[in-house]
Amino acid sequence: MRSRAELRPLVEWLLRAALVALLGVALWRSTRAKQSGVEHRTVVTGTLRRTLEDATRSPDIGGVDLVVDASPSAAELRWLAALARARLTVRWRGAPPSLAVAADRVREPQGAVGVSLAADSGTTVAIGDSAGALDTLHVGRGGGGASLRAPEVVGAVSARQGAYVATAPPPNGQPPRAALVLGRAGWESKFVLAALGEAGWTVRARLPAAPGVSVSDPALLPIDTTRYDVVIALDSTAADLAPAVARFVASGGGLVIAGGATHLDSFRALTPALAGVRLPGRILLDGDTVTPAALPLRPLGAVRTDAVVLERQAKGLAVVARRAGQGRVLALGYDESWRWRMLGGASGAEAHRRWWSRNAGLVAPEHDSSAPVRESADAAPTATLVNVLGPPAPSFTAPRRSPSRSLPLTLLVLICLVLLAETASRRFRGAR
Amino acid sequence: MSDFVFATAQYESGDWDSAPLLPANIIDTVARYTSIDVAPAGVIVPLSGSALFRYPLVYLTGHLPVRFTSAERANLRAFADRGGMLFVDDHNHDVDGTFHKTATEELRSVYGPLREIPNTHPLYRTFFTFPDGPPTTSHELNGWGDNLVHKTLSGVERGGRLSLIYSSKDYSSEWNYHPENKRFLSVDNTRFAVNLVVYALTR
Repeated sequence: MRSRAELRPLVEWLLRAALVALLGVALWRSTRAKQSGVEHRTVVTGTLRRTLEDATRSPDIGGVDLVVDASPSAAELRWLAALARARLTVRWRGAPPSLAVAADRVREPQGAVGVSLAADSGTTVAIGDSAGALDTLHVGRGGGGASLRAPEVVGAVSARQGAYVATAPPPNGQPPRAALVLGRAGWESKFVLAALGEAGWTVRARLPAAPGVSVSDPALLPIDTTRYDVVIALDSTAADLAPAVARFVASGGGLVIAGGATHLDSFRALTPALAGVRLPGRILLDGDTVTPAALPLRPLGAVRTDAVVLERQAKGLAVVARRAGQGRVLALGYDESWRWRMLGGASGAEAHRRWWSRNAGLVAPEHDSSAPVRESADAAPTATLVNVLGPPAPSFTAPRRSPSRSLPLTLLVLICLVLLAETASRRFRGAR
Repeated sequence: MSDFVFATAQYESGDWDSAPLLPANIIDTVARYTSIDVAPAGVIVPLSGSALFRYPLVYLTGHLPVRFTSAERANLRAFADRGGMLFVDDHNHDVDGTFHKTATEELRSVYGPLREIPNTHPLYRTFFTFPDGPPTTSHELNGWGDNLVHKTLSGVERGGRLSLIYSSKDYSSEWNYHPENKRFLSVDNTRFAVNLVVYALTR
């Protein structure tokens, strides 16, 4: 049997072997950690920003699984997309609603703001702006959209459905709008001028009253988009200016063709539809009030394939529009709309004013928007999500923590203890 | 369809039909000088009826005291609100006369205070040019009525347009003759009526 003195070198040899084995394990672990990747986090929308900050600073996070339970902001999505392009593995799942909102200024001088909403059928969406709630819109079973008109909004417009929010940037300001009215001296010209003027349009006119004599504003010409938004041709007296008006439309101006002007050959290339024979209006008895349905009408026919019918009456089509060049053209079949204003009862004048302003606004060009786009605004968050991150993942497992690249503390302590024991043993027996 | 129909206001008090030849004369003048589609005959329109709104320019005259009924007042107010224009002429040519005193009082209650129309107003340049303002009438110059030559007309503007024109110049006498007799005049004295009509149709 061996003595203790003889066993000590054997123990020391075993300790050295263990030390080499432990160092080997440590080396293997560190190599494995480098190869197998890093932390893969699963986060919900509320904690996404913190994870993004961590992932940007630390290379230990190698992937993010996003569970969408609310709308991530556009900035967060852009951040996530940038990290994904760099190195991060990004997946997402969830069932965010189809939600999109747009806010556009109506193209009239005192233009309200039109809010258009796209959402899932049968849902109710709260619409608001920076100042508070505007209204609640319900999207019916049949269609996927709804709209409202607000006199004014403050800041961005948002549509909220539960935790999901779509935010449209604020609409641009109210630019001044100018119209040129071409028609003969008569009640129709007078009341179109009055309606547009009362609605806030800057109106100029040329109204021939006799051969060679026109009642017109000074500096009427040239007709271009820097001076006018819309030209309104009420009858055949516009014929001599038709080439200039055609150039105006081609460069983005709006044209409204009404009354006798619908028969002008000069506008044939532009008009969305041709007017038929004039049908008389309803015979009025004492006390009757006039509505558009009671006005004389030249029913619009031969509608171009690219035209859109906007109004129709029992007698035929009344309002048709189309794009022409960079501009837009509206054909009105109504005749003597002034009777609506004068004989339309207590609300006739207001209705006539709004109708004419709306028609002019429909073809008026959009002025450059100078409204700042908020960084966090996202008018269609679900669409942006799919656009940025791709389609949702069918499912993903719970996050699995990969081995850490740093050595575990127990392994380090063990190595130190083995090293200490082996050194102490040698020193105590006098060996070096 | 005629665009312009000359309408004479019929009101319940007074002698609204005191210038029966004037409409034909003005229609002749408008047709003679302009290309405006004008109906060959005028109409008489009750101030209290809804037919008033078919004729956005209405002429009113008389010699006798004017008292509008409440229906006439309400109708005139709506007529002005919707953009109609009323031309009132004192057939007496007398600022101390009963027509002037009562008509201006009634008009004030409907339109508010009447103000002088400056002689630089577009009304005097819209077709023919009258650099000195409203043309004088022979009745002003021959000393009848108040024996005054009225330098201006008065009226009320709404939205930058005249909705009421009031004259003390007695155009109702001046223009109340058969159009055939214009040939005896060196200068047609109804030309200012063209300005009234063209202004109403274009402003």
